[in-house]
Parts: sequence; structure tokens; C-alpha cells
Amino acid sequence: MNFSLGSYLKRLRSIIIGILIISILPALLFGTNTQVEQNVWEYSIKNLKYPLFPDVFEKYQYSMTIFFAALFTGLAVALILTFLTTLLPRFLQRVTYGLLTFLESLPDLFIVVVLQFTVIYIYQSTGVLVANISNVYNNPIYLLPILTLSILPAIQLFKIALLLMKDEQHKPYVTVGRAMGLSRFYITIVHVFRNILTSLVQYYKTIFVFMLSNLFIVEYVFNLNGIMNVLLNTKGVAFMVTALMIAIPFSLLFEIAESNTIKLNKQEEEEAA
Amino acid sequence: MIIKLLKQPQAIIGFLFITGLLVFSFYWPSLLDVDKTESLKLQDFLYDDEGRIIDAPPYSPSQVPPLGSDMFGKHIFYQAIDGAKYTILIALGIALFRILFSVGITLLNPRSSFSFLNDIVQATLYLPTAILAYILMNSLIMKQSMEPMSTIKLIMLQCLILIGVGVPPLISTFSREIRAILNKDYITNTFALGSKKVYVYHKHVLPELSTKLVLLFAQQVVQTLILMAHLGVLAIFIGGSAIVVLGDIFSPMPVAIPLAGEWAGIIGMNFAKIKAAPWAILTPLTFFALLIFALNLIIQGIQNCLETHKS
Repeated sequence: MNFSLGSYLKRLRSIIIGILIISILPALLFGTNTQVEQNVWEYSIKNLKYPLFPDVFEKYQYSMTIFFAALFTGLAVALILTFLTTLLPRFLQRVTYGLLTFLESLPDLFIVVVLQFTVIYIYQSTGVLVANISNVYNNPIYLLPILTLSILPAIQLFKIALLLMKDEQHKPYVTVGRAMGLSRFYITIVHVFRNILTSLVQYYKTIFVFMLSNLFIVEYVFNLNGIMNVLLNTKGVAFMVTALMIAIPFSLLFEIAESNTIKLNKQEEEEAA
Repeated sequence: MIIKLLKQPQAIIGFLFITGLLVFSFYWPSLLDVDKTESLKLQDFLYDDEGRIIDAPPYSPSQVPPLGSDMFGKHIFYQAIDGAKYTILIALGIALFRILFSVGITLLNPRSSFSFLNDIVQATLYLPTAILAYILMNSLIMKQSMEPMSTIKLIMLQCLILIGVGVPPLISTFSREIRAILNKDYITNTFALGSKKVYVYHKHVLPELSTKLVLLFAQQVVQTLILMAHLGVLAIFIGGSAIVVLGDIFSPMPVAIPLAGEWAGIIGMNFAKIKAAPWAILTPLTFFALLIFALNLIIQGIQNCLETHKS
């Protein structure tokens, strides 16, 4: 574990200044009278006003549950699929890669809507409700949002892992392992996978930022009472507080990951030198 | 670079698809041999051969081929084809201006690190771009409802917001790139030999950036398209919207209709009726997906070019 409080505080300061600028920007550009007059600690959805505290903690917890569950599902699916593809013949591996490029370009909105319809269609034709497709009052849904949110990161991680795998398989230690009579299966699981995981961590930023943006669309389309829905409907100070609630823990995560990957890279350089 | 790009079949396919769609979108009435106003009119009811009313909108794809109609009885297929040109041109324009603005701002003072912009970039990492654009657009619409402005001005302001949302991250990318180029030895030599800044930027910095610029431009087009789709779902339409009252007298139902016919508008307009007319929202979304796929093919081609260039 490698973490310096000083550089984190520096990053935090710039995040707070940035969010402050963003939250006063609408009033600055279009005049203060465009901001609907409402109590500072309130947010409004469809002209109904709700108090921000203490509701927001519950919503926050709900959103984060979905977010991390989706992240881990996506990661697990990606790793399993990567492993299975390495067992395929080379020609099928190329087909998989091409297919991934296509799947990657599907917009998140498309996937959300299509999944929703698939569930409805299955319900209509067989009478089996696989999962609830929309949030009903006080009855949060988990399965479908997690599934939807995990698809795109899974595809991205799968693609990255496949590329890394390709690089890794030509490294000397794999050849040595083969020469020692270890099976391809064993080398992939024990040695190659461990190395891929450490390289995969370096892509955390792209994945996290991408997933936060997806989380918003998922929450909006499934009508979930999550943190992003609150963020969308708040203004001014309340917006700032909600945004900081998202930014502070994630920036802490980024800081830890960043300082550790830098350390990792340095180690590799030293080894190479 | 263009010659190299021509050797990438995927880039050519992507490019041909987009140009084809654009041309088709401009000339579809003559190509499909249909009357434009006739095929885009509102159809209140569907009649059978004897003139009896058999159905009210939305019509399914089997009733109104090829792709059904929306809540007002307009053909979704023709709408999507007609909207392609607006969507593509708006996205291209916004991406172009994002690149131009950010390069321009960076070149004003390439040595500075733009600390306050850096703060904004740090903050926007955690906020989805759609939310950022939404809070700005919403304020703009508020302002418009209080003091009416012309449609042209509204569209300009909306485009400026869409451009502005993407500029800070680009500036931080460019300032990093340009600083790396300016630190190269031959640039220092050129300055030592007494050349002017403008000359160096024009002759050395921009040519070296050019491939990177094309790549970033294509990526920005994709991002703009996704942002437009998200804003469409949030019922923010480029070009403003008109409110039409549907439903009967006891339950009036105001519905916002986008004035420009771009895809995001079609999605947003039909989003509330998603369960009644799934084809009305899946069609524009599929078009979005295809367009983004074509752009990704081009991006892949450019990246392949860059890799062969290096080796």
C-alpha cells in the first residue's frame, strides 16, 4: 500500500474548486433568475420537492451497491470469457475480437432499452417475469440494473484482457514454461492471468468514468431512486454537495490506484535496467 | 496519411457508410420515389379499403411498413432517414469546433498548465457529461421561457453549450501533447535561429499533431452522438420544442415535439411511450449504433495507420 495524504489533498482541492465552478456556471451564464427558487436542501422531481437529507444516504448506498456489483460481475465475466477464448483456435479468436469491436460501439442507451424489451418480451410470450423492469415505490430492483450496467464494462475489459493476453503469450517465461513441460492450461491460469490482472488495473480510470456515465442512464431509464437522479434534479449548493459525495470516495480510490500503479511501473523499470 | 488510410478497408467501409447515409438523407424523396410532405405528414387514423377506421396511432411495423409510426402517425423510417443529415452534420460541426477551440486556446499560451481548467477536468471525471450539459441546457430553456429569443440564437447557444462541455478535457490533452512537441530539440533550435512563434506553430507543431487531431476528431464525433442521444432521452432537443396537447379533454397530455428532426429528438419524443411503441425508439437507436460503429471502424483504421507509421 502506497499512499500520500499530501497529494490526495491537492487533488481534492482541485476537485472542490472544479465542482464549485461548475455549480455556479449556469447562474453565471444565464442569470440567477433562471434558477428555480427552492429551499437549498431540497431537490425536485416532476415539481414535487423532497428534502435532500437524510434520503440521499440511502440512495447513495443503493447506487453504489449497483455500481460495484456491476463492476465485479463485469470483471468476472470478462476474465472467464478471456480464459475461454484462449482455448479457442486462432481463427475463432480473431472472429471474437471483431465481434467485440462491434459490440463496443453499441451505445449504452441501446443496450438498456433492448434488455428492457427482452424481459418484457419473455414475460409476454412465456409468462415468466425474469426480473422487474422498473422501480416501484419502496421496492428497489437489483438484478436487471446490475446486469445492464455490467455488460459494457465487461466487453471493454474482455477486449483489453484479450489484447494483453496476446502480448503476454509471446513473453519468454511462457516459452520456458512450455519447455518445462507445463500444459498451456496451467500456464494460462497460474502465470499469465496473474500478470494480466496487474496490467488490467491500469485501465481503472477509463472503466470507472465510463461506468459512472452509464450508471446515470441506467438509473434514468429504469427509474431508479439513485444518486444520479438526485444529482440531475438539484441546483446550486445541493448539487455541489451531491457531486462531492460522488467525487470524494472515487478520487480516493483513484489516488490509491494511481500511486500504486506508478510504483508498479517503477519496479518494472528497475527490473528492466 | 490519406493514402495510408485508403489501404485500410475498414476505414473505407465506415467512410462510405456515412457518406452514403448523408447523400441518401438529402435525396431520399427522389431516390425512393415518394413525396416528402406526403410521407412525413401526420396520419390521424388508419383506414381500410372501404374507408372505415381500423386503427389509431401508433401503428406497428406490420401496419405501416417498413418500420411503423410514432404517436402522431408519422413514419419512423422516413423520419429517421430525413433526420440523418441533421444528426450527422450537427455532430460533425460540434466535434470540429471543439477541436478548433481547444487547439486555439492551447496555442494562445502553450506553456501554461491552465490550472483552473485542470480543476474543472478533475471534477468532470466524476460527473457524467450528460448531467453537465443538462444543467446548462435546462437553465437556457428557463431563460428562453422568460425572455423569448429567436430559434437561430437558441440553436447557437445550445451548440455552444455542447461545444463547451467537451473543451476542457481536450485542452488538457492538447497542452500535454504540444508541450511535449515544444520540448523537442529541433524546436528549441528553430527558436534559437530566430523564427517567430506563429511560424513554428504553423510549420512544425500542427503537422506533427495532424494525425492525432484526426483521431481525436473522430472520437469527439462519437462522444457528441452519445451525448445527443442522452440529452434526447432527457427531453432536451436541439432547436427547441413545441408543446402539443394530446389526450382527451379530461386528461390533457402535453407532449414536447422537437422542431429539428434529428434522431435524438425522435428518441426523446417517443421515450415516454416506450412500452406502447418500442419500434419508434429502437429504430433511431439502431441508426445511432450503426453510425457509431462506422465511426469506430474509421478510428480503428486511423489507429492502424499510426501503428504502421511508428514501426
